[in-house]
Amino acid sequence: MGHRSSIDINTEWDIVAARQLGRNEAKNTGFGTVDQARITTAISELARNIYLYAGRGRIEIEPITVGQRVGLVIIASDEGPGIADLQKVMTDGYTTSGGLGAGMPGVKRLMDEFRVDTEVGVGTTITATKWLH
Amino acid sequence: MNLQVQQIDKDLVHNFKVIGEIDIYTAPKLKEHLASLEHAEGMEVELDLSEVNYMDSTGLGVFVGFYKEVTAHNGSLVITGLNQRLYRLFEITGLNEIMKIEQAEGGEDDASV
Amino acid sequence: MPKEAGKRYKQMLENYLCSKGEEDLYLGQQFSRSFIEKNIAPEDVISIHKNSVEELIEDLPADVSVSFDFLIEMMIHYGLALKEHQSLIRKQESIQMEMDIAVRVQNTLLQTTTPEVTGLDVGWISKPAKQMNGDYVYFLNETPNELCLAVADIIGKGMSAAMHMSMVKFGMDSLRYEKRNPSEVLSFINKMIEKSISDSMFISMFYGKYDTETSTFRHSSAGHEPALFYRAAEKKFSLLESKGLLLGVQEEAKYEERIVRLEEGDFIVVMTDGVTETRTEKGFIELDILEELLLDVKCERAQTMVDSIFNELSKMQDYVLHDDFTLVILKKTN
Repeated sequence: MGHRSSIDINTEWDIVAARQLGRNEAKNTGFGTVDQARITTAISELARNIYLYAGRGRIEIEPITVGQRVGLVIIASDEGPGIADLQKVMTDGYTTSGGLGAGMPGVKRLMDEFRVDTEVGVGTTITATKWLH
Repeated sequence: MNLQVQQIDKDLVHNFKVIGEIDIYTAPKLKEHLASLEHAEGMEVELDLSEVNYMDSTGLGVFVGFYKEVTAHNGSLVITGLNQRLYRLFEITGLNEIMKIEQAEGGEDDASV
Repeated sequence: MPKEAGKRYKQMLENYLCSKGEEDLYLGQQFSRSFIEKNIAPEDVISIHKNSVEELIEDLPADVSVSFDFLIEMMIHYGLALKEHQSLIRKQESIQMEMDIAVRVQNTLLQTTTPEVTGLDVGWISKPAKQMNGDYVYFLNETPNELCLAVADIIGKGMSAAMHMSMVKFGMDSLRYEKRNPSEVLSFINKMIEKSISDSMFISMFYGKYDTETSTFRHSSAGHEPALFYRAAEKKFSLLESKGLLLGVQEEAKYEERIVRLEEGDFIVVMTDGVTETRTEKGFIELDILEELLLDVKCERAQTMVDSIFNELSKMQDYVLHDDFTLVILKKTN
């Protein structure tokens, strides 16, 4: 198990800091340039969602080892409004058509594992993992 | 195809002037405008269609839906300025028997033909 | 990322750097298809290019190399857009399949067969503008000396229209053993659908009943386009109009009933607004154009007549139907 580092998201500049942290961690874990860019984009989208919809929250990044496999886990959490219709949010074309970015399906595609825990009025936690192949 | 809806409220009467063609593509826009009205008890609405030269059954559907809504709130709806073709549409469908509609003055000339 | 593709790419790039020829570009273009087939994302292609360039070109300026990292970042969203596009296409294909099934079910449920009636020649046509038809022709002839005809048009087109139409059909079927007059049938159907139809939907319907013994046609209309009635003796058309509100607007509605007697050679034309709203370059066709077309073919069989009118009118609008098109002709023979 590696150490867990985190960035609080309060302003748009914190998104940049989260990206930087993610890219460094991805590089240290051994990911190539393209996967570094994918992980960074995923972090960027998650952090931006926090900034836009919850106002504040946190991005945590942790290198993990499970048996022979090495990977990186991103946890994006906030105490914002939560997602009422998760199925809709996870539908292709739902957010992207409005130009809101890659959307949740995009983040899911960039990573290998993806999980959302959300409750209306309580908040949202998204856990996404990328494995080093 | 284009559709404009102008709202000119006078006293307690909501006045709408609709300009353009009301068909399957523009009807949703009209519906949205009408739906934005708060349905107060006894409200009075007047729709001026003097600058509508074409309407299909989808357009008629919007008026039927709106008519039901207004009457459910004990309000009244008046549709004015119908050209001959439009007036005929209200006549054929029997809607002229339940709605208050007024033909345009000199309704003989029909811009759509 | 497949190593094989990277190797081949490098080889092809090397050839091109040497030849700068069109042939190598052509090979490259062909090869690019295999990237898509193998699901290699745009950002991966840039990365393959970057690695190849770094290996092939000595003294490559460091900034050029780094600039590819920037490009990779730029391409991530393109890659996502591509994947999303592919997924939406798959989804569309499955919706299309569902739609095809729905069309087949509708066609089975709402099948219309031409009835055999003594002394009456019947022809009809009903063509949807899109996949699903919002128009419907219904015949009921329990006995050979009586024919009931309904022509209905539901506002809107497509799936929801078809589903509502099934309801109307089963409503009429439920009355099949009761001797009801047109106005009663319309009142019944109106009550039935008023409850279940959404606020801005409605159906217009023409309902007629022909009695072979008296050669009379009794008809009512629920907000439907008036039918045309041709009297051979007078060589003139008139409108079969009767007052009545659209179905589904108000729970209680009264339908006027009228009656006409047919002589040999007389015919009745029932249609939907897809016929009267035939749009040509000059605007809508007028009723007299339709009347002229009918006169041209008035001696033909009823089916030949409707087919011919349909051909003429669709020719006038360049074979593009803007609305569902339905035409029924009842012609008295002897």
